[in-house]
Amino acid sequence: MSEIALQATGSAAGYRRLLGILSLTLLVAFVLSLAIGYGPFDFGAALHSALSGKDDLGALVFIEIRLPRAILGLFVGFALGLAGAVMQAFLRNPLAEPGIIGISGAAAFGAVVIFYSGLAAVSSLLLPIGGIVAALAAGLLLFAVAGRNANTATLILAGIAVNSLAGALVSLVLNLSPNPFAATEIMFWLMGSFADRSLTHVAIALPPIVAGCIALFLTSRALDALALGEDTATSLGFDLRITRALLVGGVALAVGGAVAVSGTIGFVGLVVPHLLRPFVAYRPSLLLPASALGGAILTLSADIAVRLLPTQPELKLGVVTAVIGAPFLFSLVWRMRGDLR
Amino acid sequence: MPGRWLTYCLAALAVLAVADAPPAAARPQHIVSINLCADQLLMRLADPDQIASLSYFSRDASMSNLAEEASAFPRNRGLAEEVMRYKPDMVFAGRYTKRMTVDLLKRIGVDVVELDVPRSIPDVEAQIRRVGEALGQEARAEAMVREMEARLATEDVSASKRPSAIVYEPNGYTVGAGSIINVLISLAGLENLAAEKGLESYSRLPLEKLVALSPDVLVVGDYRDAPAVANEILHHPVLSRMPRPMEIVSVPQRLWMCGGPDIFKAVEVLRQAADKARARQ
Repeated sequence: MSEIALQATGSAAGYRRLLGILSLTLLVAFVLSLAIGYGPFDFGAALHSALSGKDDLGALVFIEIRLPRAILGLFVGFALGLAGAVMQAFLRNPLAEPGIIGISGAAAFGAVVIFYSGLAAVSSLLLPIGGIVAALAAGLLLFAVAGRNANTATLILAGIAVNSLAGALVSLVLNLSPNPFAATEIMFWLMGSFADRSLTHVAIALPPIVAGCIALFLTSRALDALALGEDTATSLGFDLRITRALLVGGVALAVGGAVAVSGTIGFVGLVVPHLLRPFVAYRPSLLLPASALGGAILTLSADIAVRLLPTQPELKLGVVTAVIGAPFLFSLVWRMRGDLR
Repeated sequence: MPGRWLTYCLAALAVLAVADAPPAAARPQHIVSINLCADQLLMRLADPDQIASLSYFSRDASMSNLAEEASAFPRNRGLAEEVMRYKPDMVFAGRYTKRMTVDLLKRIGVDVVELDVPRSIPDVEAQIRRVGEALGQEARAEAMVREMEARLATEDVSASKRPSAIVYEPNGYTVGAGSIINVLISLAGLENLAAEKGLESYSRLPLEKLVALSPDVLVVGDYRDAPAVANEILHHPVLSRMPRPMEIVSVPQRLWMCGGPDIFKAVEVLRQAADKARARQ
């Protein structure tokens, strides 16, 4: 079916070129993320020692500090871009995104409970599990309240409710902690950061992110059919209950795992699918890979930006993505203002 | 009958006269502290019956060196209303904290003693003497200063034998010049690399730069066991994988965050780390 679609748009080569350009840009962003940092290290020399297994300071910084940061930026961005594209297609709602409808916020609450109660110290695996369980609960709740064909306003309002509750509960847990630093860490959980994360964080976040992304990619063909209407999709043999289960489970795994180690990073899943949709002839199945790559590029670039900006301490990542994303959301609302009434 | 009244009155006058006799009369009798550092000076310098209430954290063993002793006194959260309930004749506060409460207390005429943040040993000593004077307990203050001086006294460690050190606190903050902690590091025979590199007191040192500096001793500001993202940087795996192993020593915050009489204990901890680092070289 994809082949037919591509021939219809007459640009299979164009699509391949798009993915090529995105992959190349992503590679550049990844290498830049490794090359830019705070220590006075020669990137080439550090790379050489790291590859030849030497254990000097440069290699150490490269492997233990910069590599986890770049890997997390890539995978978290990939998951957010993909989740946004899948949600917008399935809910047929241009504002659907894990951050706006409250799934990221809920995941942050789940992770915060596990982390500050000390359970994360018992086993670091519990941290992403907390994020995933809370994200899953929020996803199920949203579907129960807003349903699949809810209009934009209902979904957004339900999202505001979930977001406010999650934000308040995060704040409550942080204030209950006896550690005086905890109260100030609401910034980390609501705005996100990859600063000084380690390979341990990579190891606990990657499995759920990868599993979640696989589940989300599995919805691809059903999303194409759904674009032709719900009845058409059903008559083509797609069971939308399965699609919905893949979506809710996939988003919970990917976003829950990501938020547990990096906090919530907003707007990536909103902005990227909208920017790339015109290049894929508005076909969901084509948008998914492009949007995932685009999400990774945006997140890595934002993470490079916070390291280059001369602020002390480093800006949180969500500040940069919100500065880009919020005006974008505003312009979307402006264009949709007729439909929202 | 009038005779008995007269006796009562004379007795009352006599009591007043005794109460008025110096130095006891000069001594405040209902002291409230809303500052953790003041709490610890009060418990050591004042008579227990001079103290009406201590700050909320005075019983917190991770912040206070006298947590157990503090449980004998009522505690307050530093709100003006709460403080006034004790009808204090003197309130102890910090120079930079609880400003709203302090302003309000001053406006209604309460005698407020504000503690400074000492930046040197003479600052610490002057502060102890000032508090002693306010309490009418000059002799105890003088004895405390003498004891501290004796415990801090040290043989000079020549510059070449000074292992390099970096203080690393939650969120990756380090301590440079212009802080009492920098003075304590020098007294312990260590060389504070952050001060040498011109870093201000309490500036952020990215993990990468810490690895690049590769100090002989890493002084970890150990806050407490409760988890916080801020503490994760102190347990980052890179710190235990340095090519040249660092001596990692943890100094409990309660020993030096006040710049009070407990600082010599912090110096003792640091001296042990310095000895180990020298033995390793």
